Amino acid sequence: MRVRTFLNTVLFGVWAVCWLAVSGLAAGPFLYIWPGKNGRNARRLVYVQAKGILFFMRLCSRSWWVETPAPRPKGPCVVAANHASALDLYTVAAFGYDNVVYITKGWVFKLPFFGYVMRRAGYIDAQTTPPQQMLERCRQAVQDGCDIVLFPQGSRKDPNARFKSGAFYLAIELGLPVVPLAIGGTGDMLPSGAVWLKPADILLAALPPVYPADFTGPLDHLHMARAVKNRIMDYLHKEQKQ
Amino acid sequence: MNITKEEIIRQTNEALKKEFELSDAQLTPQANLKDDIGLDSLDAVDMVVVLEQKFHINIRQGYDLRSIVTLQNLYDFIEKIAQESAQKNQ
Repeated sequence: MRVRTFLNTVLFGVWAVCWLAVSGLAAGPFLYIWPGKNGRNARRLVYVQAKGILFFMRLCSRSWWVETPAPRPKGPCVVAANHASALDLYTVAAFGYDNVVYITKGWVFKLPFFGYVMRRAGYIDAQTTPPQQMLERCRQAVQDGCDIVLFPQGSRKDPNARFKSGAFYLAIELGLPVVPLAIGGTGDMLPSGAVWLKPADILLAALPPVYPADFTGPLDHLHMARAVKNRIMDYLHKEQKQ
Repeated sequence: MNITKEEIIRQTNEALKKEFELSDAQLTPQANLKDDIGLDSLDAVDMVVVLEQKFHINIRQGYDLRSIVTLQNLYDFIEKIAQESAQKNQ
């Protein structure tokens, strides 16, 4: 193991975990008493925690590049990102998305304390929530001014895995633009199953939005999923070659 | 519609590869559509639309699709529908 990897993990990795624990425990009682409108304060806590994790990620990285080639949509949107690492969860905060509802796998809700905050924040369990209920909860979240964040690949195991179309079905049903979020390098820093934080070149980019009106027909969500994935992968391949 | 079993397999695989980014290695007759190929419930609905467009058949009306578990089940099912469609047109 290289010295930098060891130092990353011992110095910054441990501090990052402490940051999550201390900030969460300090804010926990307040969230219980004062959750804010539909969990707004829990979502604020997650944003602040994510900003802290991004700080530690930056310290662990070899290079750090955050790019916004297009302005963010004016209203709520769906943010769809590629997924190669647990660190990806925190990357939306790099673009100022401070009021988001994640749609995520059920096991995450079972984590001690994190699960509590996630339920408080109104996050949605993709595995147990029936489709119609999920649509209604997303509609409510959007009315509350939230953006919806998903990782359409559903798993960190294969960075080139297909983007499943559920996220895009939601976007079309709710009439929301989709912001493709390209995440590069996190899979090198902390791949699935790893515990050591390797130094890596981190690249984060919020790409130009994709709009539901550009897709028609009974397979519109499937085609939108492919368009968003292609936009992300093309960007990452282009940038990583340079 | 007169179509051979081999042609059904070829066209089905071609459609699934294109729309669901699958590889030849995944498309074995014994492959479970959910566990091996990774299709979720929305994908299953999309797959029906894709196959209807590909074979110009109507799958959604009057058939129980829950019995389709593997790719082989799917090939057999399309063959059955195609034969019924051909008989109706005669």
